[in-house]
Order: sequence, then C-alpha cells, then structure tokens
Amino acid sequence: MIEKYRPLATPFFVIWTMAKKDLRVLLRDRRSVVILLAMPLVFIFVLGISLGEGFGQKPDDRLRISIVDLDVRYVPTDIKEKVSKNSKAKTAEAFPSGTWSQVMKDDLAQAAGIKLEIIPTREMAEQLVRDGQRAAVIVFGPEFSDRVYHCSFLADGLNPLFRDGVNLSILDAEIIRDPTQLAASSIIEQVIQVSALRVVIPWMIGTAFREVGDRMGGFVQSGITKMFPNYNFLAFTWTGLTKAEERKTPVVATNLDEVSTGLLKRGSYRYQVLVPSYTVMFSFFLALTCGGLFAAERRQGTLKRLAAAPLSRAQIILGKLFPCLLTAILQGTFLMTMGKLVFGMKWGNQPGWMFGVILSTAIAASGMAMLVATLARTETQVMIYGTMAVLMMAGISGCLMPRELMPEQMKEFSRITPHAWALDAYAQLLLNPVPNIMIVANACFMLLGFGVVFLGLAWTMLKLET
Amino acid sequence: MPREPILEVESLIKDYGPVRALDGVSFAVSEGEMFGLLGPNGAGKTTLLSIISCLIRSTSGRATLFGKELSPNNRLIRQQIGIVPQESALYDDLSARENLSFFGKLYGMGGASLRKRIDDVLQAIGLADRATRRVGTFSGGMKRRLNLGVAIIHEPRLLLLDEPTTGVDPQSRNHLFDEIRRINQAGMAIIYTSHYVSEVESLCNRVAIMDHGRLIACDELDVLMQHLQSVIRFRVTPDPTPLVSRLVTRDDIVVRTTEDNAIEIECNEIKTTLIQVMTLLNELQLGLVSLETEEPSLEHVFLHLTGKALRD
Repeated sequence: MIEKYRPLATPFFVIWTMAKKDLRVLLRDRRSVVILLAMPLVFIFVLGISLGEGFGQKPDDRLRISIVDLDVRYVPTDIKEKVSKNSKAKTAEAFPSGTWSQVMKDDLAQAAGIKLEIIPTREMAEQLVRDGQRAAVIVFGPEFSDRVYHCSFLADGLNPLFRDGVNLSILDAEIIRDPTQLAASSIIEQVIQVSALRVVIPWMIGTAFREVGDRMGGFVQSGITKMFPNYNFLAFTWTGLTKAEERKTPVVATNLDEVSTGLLKRGSYRYQVLVPSYTVMFSFFLALTCGGLFAAERRQGTLKRLAAAPLSRAQIILGKLFPCLLTAILQGTFLMTMGKLVFGMKWGNQPGWMFGVILSTAIAASGMAMLVATLARTETQVMIYGTMAVLMMAGISGCLMPRELMPEQMKEFSRITPHAWALDAYAQLLLNPVPNIMIVANACFMLLGFGVVFLGLAWTMLKLET
Repeated sequence: MPREPILEVESLIKDYGPVRALDGVSFAVSEGEMFGLLGPNGAGKTTLLSIISCLIRSTSGRATLFGKELSPNNRLIRQQIGIVPQESALYDDLSARENLSFFGKLYGMGGASLRKRIDDVLQAIGLADRATRRVGTFSGGMKRRLNLGVAIIHEPRLLLLDEPTTGVDPQSRNHLFDEIRRINQAGMAIIYTSHYVSEVESLCNRVAIMDHGRLIACDELDVLMQHLQSVIRFRVTPDPTPLVSRLVTRDDIVVRTTEDNAIEIECNEIKTTLIQVMTLLNELQLGLVSLETEEPSLEHVFLHLTGKALRD
C-alpha cells in the first residue's frame, strides 16, 4: 500500500521556485542581459547622436522664431505708488501684466505660420547659430520691458523707431544671425520687426494720446477720437488700436522645441520617440530569450523532468510565464529610467500611466514569449522564427521609424501588432502636452487582450510530453 | 517469501495514430526489486517508461503503483517516482547543489531536511567537492551521476533508469552501478533499461524483453537462460561418423555436423555431456583435433528472441 508521503508543494511555492530558477539562469547568461538591457540603450545612443534634429517630428512648414528671453519686468517705485493711489492710472501703468517680451511672444505666436521656440540661455543660442542649426535667434535683454515702457513720441521718451522699423538695440534686444544663412535670417528679422512695430507703436500712441488728454483736455482727445472712428488711440495693443477682433483660436504661446547640446544631445525631442520605440521593440525580444529558455529545457530533457514531477500543467506554464513577466517589467522600467537619466527624456505629466503601459506591454510580450516557446521546438527555431517575427512586427508597428511618418492606412494596419498600441500610448504620454488618457487606457486594454490571446494559444498548444 | 508487487502493468496498449507502440504489455515489479527492461530500438521501451512515469496516457490497459492508477493527473503518485532520462536532464547554468535543491523543492521538500538530503546525495554520487560548480563545467560521467542524484533527491519508491550509462567512462559506470545497487538494497524498486545487455545481466535479477511493442519474455535471469542450451563444438580424426551415429540416439542432446566437418552438440548439462563425449572418443579410438564450449548468456537469449536482423 502507498505510504504516507510528504505533502505536495503549494502552487505559489512551485511557481516562485521555477521563476527564481529562470531568473537566476537569465542573470547568469550575459548574452541575455546584453540583448535585453544593453542593446536597446546602444541603439538609442547610436541613433540619438546620428539622427537629424527633426527626427520623430511631423514635417512642419511653419517659420520657427527662436527666442532667448532674459527680460525682467522693472516697475519704477513712483509708478507703483501712482498705480496704487490713482485707480484711473491703473490701466495704463499696470499694462502689460507680464513682461513686454511676453507681449512680443504672444504677438508672434498669434501670427499665422509661425511657431516659437524658447532657448534657455544666450550661450546655447550662440552655439546653435554657430553650428548652423538656427539661422537667427532674437534675444530679449533684461531691460527690454523697462526700455519699451519708456518709449514715447515725446521729447523725454525713448524713440526706437528708425528707417528700417524698430531699432532693437535701443530696446535691449538683439538678433544673433548666422552669416551663412542670410536669406533665412532676413526673413526672421522682418517678422520680428513687424511684430515689434505692432507692439511698440500702439503703446507709444496710447501713452501719447493719454498725454494729449492730460495736457490739452478731454475735449481735444474726444475730438480726435471722433475724427478717427476706426481707431482706438487709448488702446495699448495692435488689436485694440485697430479695433480688430481678438483671435478666437487658441494659440500655443510657446511651442518649445527641445534644444540639446553635447554628444548625447540630452533632452532632445528625438529621445521622446527613440526610447519608447526601442523599449517596446526590445520588450518583445524577450520572446527570444524566454522562448530560448523553454526550448533549452526541451533539449536538455529538463522539461521531461518537470512534466514528470508532481506539478500541474498550469503550475509549469505560470512558472515559466512569471519570470518572463517580471523581466519585461524590469526591462521596461529600466529603459524608461535610463531614458530619463541618460538621454534627458521627459516622462510627461502622467508618469503613473506610463507604468500602466509598461505593465500591459510586459503582459503582451510575455504572452508572445510563451507562444514562441510553444511553437518553436528548438533554440535554432526560436532564433530564426522568433527574430523574424519580432523584427517584422517592429517594422510594421513603427518601432523602427516614427509612427507619425507612416501613411494613415499603414498606421491602421499596424494595429494588428501589440507594438503599435504600446507606441500610441507612449506617444500620448510622452509627446502630447495634454495626453488623451482614453487613448492610453484603450491601448493598455488592447495590450492586455494581446497578452491573454497569446497566452491562451500557448496554453492550448503547449505539449509538455516530449 | 515473495514480496508484494508495487507496480502492476496489465494489458497496456498505446497507439500513435495507426502505429501500435505497445501491444498488450503486462508485468509486475515488486518492492525493492531490480527489474531489467531490454529491447531493440523501436521495441516500445521508452513508450512504456513514459506511461509509467505519467508523461503520457495509455490507449487502453492499466498501470498502477501501490494500487493507484498511473496518470498525468495523479500528482501524488508522481511524487513516488524518480526518473533518470537518457539525456542528462540538468540545468548547465546552475550548480550541482542548485539543481538538486530546485528539483527537491518541486517535490515538496524544503528547509533543513532538504539541505541534509542534498548533502547525503552529493556524498553518495561522489560530487560533494564539486557541489557549487556549474554543471556546464562537468564531465559526461559527473553529469550522469548528478542525473541519478536529481532522480533520487525526493526518495522515490520506484526509480526508472533509461539508458543511464550512455557516454560514460568505466570508472563513472562502476560508481553508478554501486550507487544503483546501494539504493536498491535500501528498498527502492528499480526498472533499468539499457542497450548494454551485460549491464542488465549484472544488475537485475528479473528481466523483461520487448520487441514490436510486445513483452516476449519476462522472468528471472536464470529461467531466461534456460531458454537456450549450452553448445559443445569439436573436431575429431579420422572419421566422425561412428561418433555421430552414437550421439544422435540420445534424447537429451541435439547433434549436428557443420559444413567444415565439426560436430555441434546442444545440451543442458555441459559438464556431464563433455565427460560422456570424451569417454566415447576413447572408446571409438578417435583423436580430438579442436574443442570449444559456449554457455548461454542474456545476450544470446536476447538475440535468440529478437532475431539478429538490424533495426531502424
């Protein structure tokens, strides 16, 4: 008769024992560590330093005006007192609410066909112009607001107007030009001149017209106003002066292009595209590593031992899946962290959702790893068919090129791959200043679906008996 | 007193599509018995071992261990079985100790008792001093020893050995044999499969011979030997005819003359028959030119039962 025997190991203990073993084997296999962690970083590094400035961005025909804003609003003490005492003076003295450079930027931003780029320092701007990466950059000096404030048609005021428009040097502003890009820098200068005229002239007219009222009486002021009914000489802005309608469409005040320097070009826009692309692509390379481990179990005969041990089929499959999943999560987190630390990538304003995408991508990748392990009988088959499948899916999905550049039909078609959903989610989180969380949640849901389907197929097709 | 059978196999049939791999196999193995399983390639040995080790199900028939049906679903009964596969089924990236620990844990072992058992097994298989070395650095013989160690770590009641000495040097083979005998003497029932008939002959007291999915013989080694008779082969001068005519009258021997004029006698008692032949030679004044004797071995029995034709 059967003797009393030790109790069977608990399912969790079995799964954890198998997972620990696989993780230990993975850690000792340097090739796997290189493929899963180092290789994506190398790809990102190499492509990051070799790709052009515009990689990953939609073709943008708008004229870029690059700005260094060092302006500090200075409000003299007598004006502060005047404003606090005289409520009528408030409107005039309190204008603008921010700096005058901000008024210039708002004016430029509202102009059609123009996008603004803020460069943090003058040194960086000079470097960019020297390198030929920018044709011209406008620098607003620290006294710009103060100078504009003192611009006046009156004798004691500053007169910035001259033959070519506005003499920027009087306003503590300067255009740094690349002498090799004369045409481009001239266009930028003209745009800035027009904007400066639109900002300075209404201010000068407004303050002068106020003086007319103060010195010659309200009668003259109202007489002139009646004579020129199409203009409001008391307004301080071009829109106000010309009685034009305010632009209704929202304007992105500052369209910040990342400016990067050094060999790595840390913080460059391209890393917002490259890091998630290669994180997604290499998370599916896990299929090769884990599939290889499974095929090795077959070759070594250890799968037979596992099948003969007192384990259920579910315990064996979950014992193989768990280390896969853990590795994928660690890999995704590692690459995103390295993206931030090494490449200066920004995590956007919804980093919590980013972990959701990492997790759901890991589930899809682990499911695929199990499917590859089931279908491929040998390590060679895993390498050949697995690599082919992983690269093909990466190519279709847009891991190897920005999805934004793909034709719309292809973009739709690419959604047959889990990669595409993961990339869409990352694009929302890392590229969109206001991410659409519905798109991210939907992508996570689809990735979970892929994981479940892959795992279901693997579960059905896996033959443990060899 | 005969021991109680622990493994009972009754009319086992296994079909792979149109191919019948096992065709009504029946036998039993008792507690503490060393049972040999012989058969040419494709005889059905691996299929039989796969069913016994609960890897696959039979098409029909029944196999029980301690009265409980052997099936992939019966995890408790699988805990009573240890297998040593043909290949060294080990993790090359883990050390010997880690391999033993991993499989021990899968069989529900743990803590201090597992650590002690690992030490005992490492000592028994002669790998105590290599316990922490990666298996990938082991020789073929060391891997085979560890392969046995992993199979017995959980102290199974039935051990299945499938060609355990393939690619092993004589020293390791002897060490393995000693260890197999030791664990068998400790009460573990063993089914030993090998292509090397001499191994089965030296280790097992009962042997089954399979061919074409059928069990064509299954008995004590001595009884199997009785299937074949000893052979005395000799030449005499000048003329063997009178001797042959005297010998053919006897019922207890078979006499024939070969093409090269040698006389062959098949007999049960080789010593008695030899003395009688010598007496006759003396009587008939014949001279002995050459003499050779051939006693039956398991290999003869095997070839006799399975034929000498090459198998795929």
